[in-house]
Amino acid sequence: MATTTASMALSSDLLTGALSATASTTCMKAGTTADGLDQARMGYNLIPTGTSFDLLDATAAGADKAAKVMISNDSTDETYYVTIVIDAKTIGRLYAGDWMFIPWNQDDATHDLEITATNGTNTITWMCFHEGETLTTQAD
Amino acid sequence: MATTAAISISSDIIPGYGSYSKTMTLTEAGTNIDIKETTGYARRKLATASKVDLVTMANLMVGEDTSNLSHKIFIKNIGHNGEIDKTKYVKVFVNSVEIGLLYGGDWLMMPIVASDGEDIEVQAQDDNAVVLEWVMFYKG
Repeated sequence: MATTTASMALSSDLLTGALSATASTTCMKAGTTADGLDQARMGYNLIPTGTSFDLLDATAAGADKAAKVMISNDSTDETYYVTIVIDAKTIGRLYAGDWMFIPWNQDDATHDLEITATNGTNTITWMCFHEGETLTTQAD
Repeated sequence: MATTAAISISSDIIPGYGSYSKTMTLTEAGTNIDIKETTGYARRKLATASKVDLVTMANLMVGEDTSNLSHKIFIKNIGHNGEIDKTKYVKVFVNSVEIGLLYGGDWLMMPIVASDGEDIEVQAQDDNAVVLEWVMFYKG
């Protein structure tokens, strides 16, 4: 079984008592306990300003699956950010240095994960661990 | 007054990939100023398959300041009574747009807009009890 593990450690001193939390999950195929995600895509991209790009195209084969997506904004200017949009809904902004990790349900073909850079060309690292992808047949 | 979150991903899907790790410090949008407000760490039990608000933004002092969108939320599916079922999921939505499925043990960390109406909603797969832990960091 392919094994992908995602762990997180959170620490905060905002409260009078320290707040910390940890989480770790082995990324399994949807609804299974013994079969791990077995496909992956990843990239390192420079995102110019002014255009909304499809970072990940949703496909019907991904509906109700257990895909996981990590995006990191590797820009260094703290004013730079990328806006994350799913199915035309603005989810939030990843500023320089931020990362995110989400399950991504390609609920329908419009459920693309889109990204737009602001204040300058942003540099991002991204990974998608998933299942169920079939390559498109060559057309020409 | 810093809040940090570190992610670590390891995978053997792609030969030679190995692992990835990154730590972020949560800051106010476009600055190096540490984020200062949090909901605190919370727990919510779901016992029906109805969609409910996990975070109602109108109840926070986030307001409609669209220049400060570096809010972050962490959510973890911890199962129920110490039993983590990797075959059962909770759907996570932002204002009715589905993000993805959090199976037992899965977690997410993502940026959010957090303006009024952009509530974080969750929906259990069925009527079996499942518990979520969550915390949000934001600028009021």
